[in-house]
Amino acid sequence: MMKKLMLGVIALGLAGIMAGCGAGKPRLHLYTWADYVDPALVKKFEKEFGCRVVIDTFDSNEAMYAKLQAGATGYDLIIPSSYMIKTMHRQGMLLPIDKSLIPNLAYIDAEHLTHVIDKEMDHSVPYMIGHTGIAYLGSRVDDVEPSWAVFDREDLRGRVTLLNDMRETIGAALKFLGYSINSVNEQELAEARDVVIRWKRNIAKFDNEQYKVGLASGAFLLVQGYSGDIAQVMEDNEDIVFVSPREGTSIFSDDFVIPATAQQVELAHAYINFMHDPENAAANIEYIAYLCPNTGAYDLLSDEIKEDPTVFMDPEIRNKSEFIDDVGDALALYSRMWDQIKAAE
Amino acid sequence: MFTTVLVLLFFYIPILLLVLNSFNAARFGGQWEGFTLDWYVRLFNDGPIWTALRNTLIIAVSSTLVSMVLGTLAAFALHRYNTRLQRIHYTLIYTPLVVPDILMGMSLLLFFVAAGLQLGLTTIFLAHVSFCISYVAMVVLARLQDFDFSVIEASQDLGAGWWDTTWRVLLPMLAPGIAAGGLLAFTLSIDDFVITFFVSGPGSTTLPIRIYSMMKHSRNMPIINALSTLLLVVTFIAVWSSQRLTREKRT
Repeated sequence: MMKKLMLGVIALGLAGIMAGCGAGKPRLHLYTWADYVDPALVKKFEKEFGCRVVIDTFDSNEAMYAKLQAGATGYDLIIPSSYMIKTMHRQGMLLPIDKSLIPNLAYIDAEHLTHVIDKEMDHSVPYMIGHTGIAYLGSRVDDVEPSWAVFDREDLRGRVTLLNDMRETIGAALKFLGYSINSVNEQELAEARDVVIRWKRNIAKFDNEQYKVGLASGAFLLVQGYSGDIAQVMEDNEDIVFVSPREGTSIFSDDFVIPATAQQVELAHAYINFMHDPENAAANIEYIAYLCPNTGAYDLLSDEIKEDPTVFMDPEIRNKSEFIDDVGDALALYSRMWDQIKAAE
Repeated sequence: MFTTVLVLLFFYIPILLLVLNSFNAARFGGQWEGFTLDWYVRLFNDGPIWTALRNTLIIAVSSTLVSMVLGTLAAFALHRYNTRLQRIHYTLIYTPLVVPDILMGMSLLLFFVAAGLQLGLTTIFLAHVSFCISYVAMVVLARLQDFDFSVIEASQDLGAGWWDTTWRVLLPMLAPGIAAGGLLAFTLSIDDFVITFFVSGPGSTTLPIRIYSMMKHSRNMPIINALSTLLLVVTFIAVWSSQRLTREKRT
């Protein structure tokens, strides 16, 4: 009985693999984060281009990078974060983007491109962007100034959290002091360290995960958090307000890149072009609730998304915000400051 | 008695919470916001999750079966022969139990790339077999150490050939050990993340890889609660019916 059952399972599995391989259609192998595209768009792309899109997923930029470094191949298009793309590019792991194959590049937000690392879109094309901000419970916290200074408020003592991320948290203090988020100046970093130590006495903890549950349930009143995370918490608790601090904050971007080992280079370009078609980009923004920096798409969005502070940032604040970039050797300095923060009483 | 209850609570409360949360309208299980079947509906409409589950089951079943055979053979060789070669063999079998997963994943990946193998379900299968063998072999070896070999001699005295002895005496007596090893291998294979991540290729995402990668951006995280609840139910039914079946046989 048991044996027959197992044989059946194996036969079914094999049949499944065979059926998958049988179709002679070209396959585009996409390597990305899970649920990071509207599945309806993928179906539409498959139909239009007579191909199959096979999506595989990774959970961190670092793991994906380690795997490719070791020689893993077979992916035609990857969506890492921009800081990782810089490293991959330096290692010669990426193909240049053939702009003639992506006419929709014309829609990409020129203002956004002034902030990014690969400004010419030489080897990467922006896909989705988000930013870090401050979220709080509107009915329980009064007169919140949209400023990093809120972490000094003594009336919130023990009910606020900061991110447990060296670059984000020290970065917030650097912005608060009016310095660059990528500062490599030891004096500036020491000042930022002292600010974070001061905040540390006021906060409940440094946290990257539990703050979402804590904010939804009201255990925390105010948190530093990622826009995409906060957007989800807001669906649970309508009392939550999200603001971007006026001193500026950090922006992140996940971009399309084509690895040097790609088999379907043209199809990969076609996919980038397809996702930057204004209508498709708008549908994608609505689905995943991050911002695809595509000016053609902005007008097609629903009012709800247009007014969502977790998606769109005040242009003035955006101008003051920065990407977290590679700081080279100064990373050791950051680590030392972070250790001192963690050790401080 | 009191400690037993406490330990049981410690084990089962998280599972109970998970089941409850799969029906919770709230996305973050901080508080109860009403009953919903929405996560189950989303789960059934989520193609990639089912593909990942299918991949996971194909790998788990096939690598368990193969490692049960190879692991038992290995245990047998280790038990019967005490030569220098077998001592090296023992070290080889023992190593995967102590080597960190990340090291094993990385070195397997380097090996597969050097060997020119296309990464995919096959390479995951090979990797899982290579660590499952060790667990099966260890469990069966423990069983063999208590095994009374005079039974084998008795069967041979009574005229059973090599084939009959193996199939009708040895294997049935070892079966519980092999089954236990197989179950252990199955469990390890089904939730292995680190090794699988490195040796997987295009089109072979397994359930653990899918779940980890949902942490960052997915808006569908709670469907994992729903999926786990369904898997729990399936496990309970399987255990319950197998117990019933064996009971009926005895009466």
